[in-house]
Amino acid sequence: MLTKDLIGLIADAAGMKKKDVEHLLSTTNAIIRENLMAGKSIQLQGLGTLDVKARKARTIVHPRTGERNVIPQKNQLVFKPVANMKDELKKI
Amino acid sequence: MADNKLSWTELRRALASRAGVSEKAANVFLAAFNSQLTAALKSDKQVKVNGLGTFKLQAVAPRKSVNVTTGEQITIEGYNKIAFVPEAGVRELVEKGVKSERVKELKNEGETVDPLKKLGAQAEEIVGLLGELGQDVKQTPKKKAKKKPKAVKPVVEEPKVEEPVPVVAPEPEPIVEPEPEPVVVPKPVEEKPKKKYHFMRDTLICVVVLLMLLLAGYFFLRSQLSGWINELVNPTEQVQNTEYIIPSDKVAEEPSAVNIQPAEPATEEWSFDEILLTEQIAEGSRLAWIAKKHYGNKAYWPYIYAANKDHLTNPSVIPVGTPIRVPKLNAAMRDTTDIRFQQLKEEALEAMK
Repeated sequence: MLTKDLIGLIADAAGMKKKDVEHLLSTTNAIIRENLMAGKSIQLQGLGTLDVKARKARTIVHPRTGERNVIPQKNQLVFKPVANMKDELKKI
Repeated sequence: MADNKLSWTELRRALASRAGVSEKAANVFLAAFNSQLTAALKSDKQVKVNGLGTFKLQAVAPRKSVNVTTGEQITIEGYNKIAFVPEAGVRELVEKGVKSERVKELKNEGETVDPLKKLGAQAEEIVGLLGELGQDVKQTPKKKAKKKPKAVKPVVEEPKVEEPVPVVAPEPEPIVEPEPEPVVVPKPVEEKPKKKYHFMRDTLICVVVLLMLLLAGYFFLRSQLSGWINELVNPTEQVQNTEYIIPSDKVAEEPSAVNIQPAEPATEEWSFDEILLTEQIAEGSRLAWIAKKHYGNKAYWPYIYAANKDHLTNPSVIPVGTPIRVPKLNAAMRDTTDIRFQQLKEEALEAMK
């Protein structure tokens, strides 16, 4: 399903215009992105948590040439669903 | 912790103020968003949200397992798993743009981990020493092997017995068979009387030989130990003598490159601009160890010195905590027979004095 379809569904469920929903959704995503950039985790009630996890730098060795390289420390975006939703979707 | 989490209410307030709607409307929208997303996941198994990422429902196939206590075969039923793949842009933002306390915390943790790393480096060193010991052990069996031929000598004498036999008697075949018997018989005859008279003398000889072997072993080990100590004090002298295990591919490549075109290494420039990483000197660490850790060979330590010349005066005396830049080596720099490398090494050794 694409964003367009989701917007239609939300508009029906919330009784709003599609245009308003689109605007709200884009601002929500912008807020989420800004907070993720600041390293904050975002709680989406009834859905889950978007979390930023730090991965440490590590040295890798090329198995054939023996060349050593460093994968720098980075952050990864992780989604952890709420237990309720997880169970609900386990079996359909 | 509160600083690190954007709660539901905070998100709602931020949305209301940013989009210019009431908090109530924002709440209605967010609730609808969450419920519809879940519903859409159920029906479509995949929902794309522009500016955020894609939520997917992944099927995990049923698999067989064994009950650990009873040993019974059981099947773990298949289920669906929620996966989230962030948009490429969002992923990059998260990877690079974070300057929060949590990341700082992690860096602090990294510092506390350093002693562990040092232990790891020490473990490597010990493994290396054990490897050298292993070589020593291999050398001692050679001495034993030299003794063995002496014991074989009586067997060599046997064919001598054979030679006169065919000369005397023209019937060779039946005589060859009894040969091993006469050899075995004389031995017990000689040994029995000796055991009675010279038991004390034999044990004395054994003890003396053992003592001599022990002494020889002790001196051998001591010379080895002093070698290691020298190596630890100034690693460079040893580096010249010892051969390190370099992946077989390289060993094959390097000589061929030298044979075909001696001018080739000169064309490839050295550069210390590309930095692999920066490491802080830990207590008890040294450049050779860092070289071994990152290049797999401590012979390359002069490059690390060269890259840090501006703030290092003596490569063997570096204060703890000094940041050390580890440059990336290119193919030309890996050739230790290069004149430039020799010059660099001499220069580094000069600085040590």
